[in-house]
Amino acid sequence: MSGAEVVDRVLLTTAGVMILVAGALVLIRVARGPSMLDRAMALDVCAALMIAGIGVRSAFTRDAYYFPVMLVVAFLGFTGSVGIARFIAVRDRAPDLPDPDGPPRAGAGPGEAGR
Amino acid sequence: MSGWAQAADTAGAVLLLLGAAVSLLGAIGMLRLPDVLSRGHAATNPQSLGMLLVLAGVALRLRSGIDLGTLGLIGFFQLLTGPVAAHLVARVAYRTGHVGREGLLFDELDEQLSRGPDGTDTAARGDAGP
Repeated sequence: MSGAEVVDRVLLTTAGVMILVAGALVLIRVARGPSMLDRAMALDVCAALMIAGIGVRSAFTRDAYYFPVMLVVAFLGFTGSVGIARFIAVRDRAPDLPDPDGPPRAGAGPGEAGR
Repeated sequence: MSGWAQAADTAGAVLLLLGAAVSLLGAIGMLRLPDVLSRGHAATNPQSLGMLLVLAGVALRLRSGIDLGTLGLIGFFQLLTGPVAAHLVARVAYRTGHVGREGLLFDELDEQLSRGPDGTDTAARGDAGP
């Protein structure tokens, strides 16, 4: 193994460790919250970090075996946070907001807009 | 292994390290920033720049045609779907009052939302904050 390959392995291992640490920090955010929207956003970042981690692994072993997994995560990773934002986070609405029976706003509220 | 191939390998490893560093900075930002919108600002880092740097690094290390196509597709879909989710989350965050008002200098959206459809000012039902 030449010297440059050793350098490559050190760089890739450092990158993998960084991504693992980043994933741990993001999971702390998922656990802490405080609102469901924070968790939704943190789960988005989690999906991005999964893609990055699989990418580092593929670069390390030089195979493309897990590329379809990366593709699917990139394609479907956002559905979870969209679902949370649309249907779950509407529940913890701040109490001083107008009641939904009031006159309509210029854009509708989160429950009924953009269908 | 020729010199150019070795150079591409090392450049790819450096790009991967840069992408991982950007991802780590974004994760630290998600942990430390105060409210939903600023956390979303930090969350964009790993989703766009970190992701693209990592994909470029992988492309430099694999260097075969079909793998490059798959990597391009991964980056395309990530850039396509990330803003959709971020937009929805930020929109719901604004409308449910999870916005840190003390950091805002202007709030033009609130004016527009609390102005009724006929132009009358119905400011009493603006988002007063959490």
